[in-house]
Amino acid sequence: MILFSLLLGTPIAGSILCALFHKRRVLEIITVTSSGLTFLSAFWLAAKVMQETTLHSPQGWWYADGLSAYIIIIVSGSAFVVALYSIGYLRRQIYKRKVDAPKLWLYYLLLNIFLFTMMLVLLSNNLGFLWIGSEATTLATAFLVAFYERESSIEAAWKYVVICSVGITLALFGIILTYFSALHVVPASGNALHWSSLMLVAKELDPAVLKLAFIFILIGFGTKAGLAPMHTWKPDAYGEAPAPISALMAAGLVNVALYSLMRFYILVDKAVGGGFASTLFIIFGLMSMGVAVPFILLQRDFKRLLAYSSVEHVGIIVFALGIGTPLAYFGALLHLLNNAIAKILLFLTAGNVRMAYGSRIMHKVTGAIKVIPASATLLIVGVFAITGWPPFGIFVSEFTIVSAGFTSGNIVPAILFIGFITTIFVGFIYYTSRMVLGEPHRPVKGSDADSASLLLLGLLLGALLMLGVFIPSQLQQCIQNAVNVLKG
Amino acid sequence: MGIIHLSTIGLLIDIFAAAILVTAVLIVSSRSLVFYIRLFALQSFFLGAVALLVVLGYGETHILIAAFLTIAVKAIALPMVLTRVIERIQVRKEIEFSINITASLLLCAGMVILSDSVAQSILSSQRGEAPAVSRVLSVSIAMMLIGLFIMMTRKKALTQIIGLLTMENGVFLSGLSITYGMPLIVEVGIFFDIMIAVLILGVFVFRINKTFETISIDSLRNLRH
Repeated sequence: MILFSLLLGTPIAGSILCALFHKRRVLEIITVTSSGLTFLSAFWLAAKVMQETTLHSPQGWWYADGLSAYIIIIVSGSAFVVALYSIGYLRRQIYKRKVDAPKLWLYYLLLNIFLFTMMLVLLSNNLGFLWIGSEATTLATAFLVAFYERESSIEAAWKYVVICSVGITLALFGIILTYFSALHVVPASGNALHWSSLMLVAKELDPAVLKLAFIFILIGFGTKAGLAPMHTWKPDAYGEAPAPISALMAAGLVNVALYSLMRFYILVDKAVGGGFASTLFIIFGLMSMGVAVPFILLQRDFKRLLAYSSVEHVGIIVFALGIGTPLAYFGALLHLLNNAIAKILLFLTAGNVRMAYGSRIMHKVTGAIKVIPASATLLIVGVFAITGWPPFGIFVSEFTIVSAGFTSGNIVPAILFIGFITTIFVGFIYYTSRMVLGEPHRPVKGSDADSASLLLLGLLLGALLMLGVFIPSQLQQCIQNAVNVLKG
Repeated sequence: MGIIHLSTIGLLIDIFAAAILVTAVLIVSSRSLVFYIRLFALQSFFLGAVALLVVLGYGETHILIAAFLTIAVKAIALPMVLTRVIERIQVRKEIEFSINITASLLLCAGMVILSDSVAQSILSSQRGEAPAVSRVLSVSIAMMLIGLFIMMTRKKALTQIIGLLTMENGVFLSGLSITYGMPLIVEVGIFFDIMIAVLILGVFVFRINKTFETISIDSLRNLRH
């Protein structure tokens, strides 16, 4: 119980304190502390879950198991890294007069609230709360996407809120249908929305109603995760938000939405069986990867390039979940972590490039290696990592997923998977090498990030490298626990 | 309930559900933003009435608060906020369509028929006795579709908000019809989210107006690829 209070209460306390104080230094300390404490509590939760398998609060409103613990570590860790990085980033923005004091305050306040809403989703046992938390993540990030108040950023934020709200409204209908299917089966009707009670009676739930419910839920939370064809808000929102926020959306929010999908996937797969949910996952996963291909090959803007990469990698994870063997689950969960680290690294270095050149348009950025050597190196190495080159972690997880695809007999999907990844790799390397190498078109007077921020990025790259070489036994066990939850 | 017979309640619920559907269709055929908001207010009022009738007829007292919230928030507060928004930004109050009214109404009729068959299939597969009033479920699904249709074919920022709210009303009605509403605390949380969402969108309407001098979302087409 104390763990639930810590994980939910810390970001709430952070939000309240941020609302009260306005000094830059204080806001920085509050945000780093609250996200750091949440991150530490996540490790405690993981340790606890290893001993006791599942944790419930007394009335069963909150719940945690191996799967939630693993994803909470990734999400709170991403929030912590982003909070640390935001310090230097926003100071540079203030120096360049792009951000003033009230905006700084709003940024840190919303960052804390954002973290809270994500924790709300990840710890809810009640599917209604899970929904409330999901919609709240959209609302908490709305003004962060519109942060710079350019025409284009308000347009992006509008699109983001409207599309995600429509999606999540459809998901609510799916949740109501799930509730309906359980009303006659679960004894105390107050518990009929609790995931853990639904799992106990999964076999008695009405399969026909649940199938329909799952389609609505897949559309709804798929919109939040940015699965094609509901991904259209993503390039705009990621492109317009400040770089640390794009990073946290791509590394945290995406995984929160995927987590919600996984919970329903486990339930529906157990209740309906027959590969219904997994086939849908394979189709939507491949579709997302396929849709990303042309947009990556014909891209002008490097932040949007990264957004399409996020669409691709959500596709990879959903595809792997659809394959549905323990090996595929392991690959999917490992990929969740690898992708999160790589996305933070890339969005933050992209932010540095953008700040130095004052542009996100790729053909205006050349010779970055001469202008900002550290960030340019991180960028190009990060791109090799995200496109699945050894010796980085993504290679390992993608390789695991492909082999799981072949061994489970999904030959054609697995071949398509390799085809998409290779094509995307070519597009990525083509664009980034042109950005990084060569001579700058014009004299650029921009400077790189401060050395502490660059060190942080270097550590992220180091983590990706480590995950490509070996997986620590604790991590292995943590993922294994989550795989056991996915097996139902 | 001794005073009012259960079948009377059922009849009244049916009548209000029909009235809700009529308001949704009238929104589709309306040309003025002011009407959009008034019709939405009326729709939410009827929705609150259905919720109250469910409380009366089936003794589900936990819906009482949701019913009052529906009337207070959706039928009174949000329409007032939205009216203020259009007064303040002095937008041209006529709505442009990408599909004309006649075609829209025909499509709506199609959607109602489709919704009815979806509702039948949801209910027929349910084992045991279904608490549902099938007509109400059809109406609720039709509302979601019509709301989505409004969002896709009407080009003002405010019509998008009304479309979204119509969808939300549909989902709430579906909850009333097949489950007698979600647990109270969940329902309250959902209301809170919707209210914040509309307020945030309202702020964006101001900002869009400030930067584009119009709130037709046609001008929101800069971001492509």
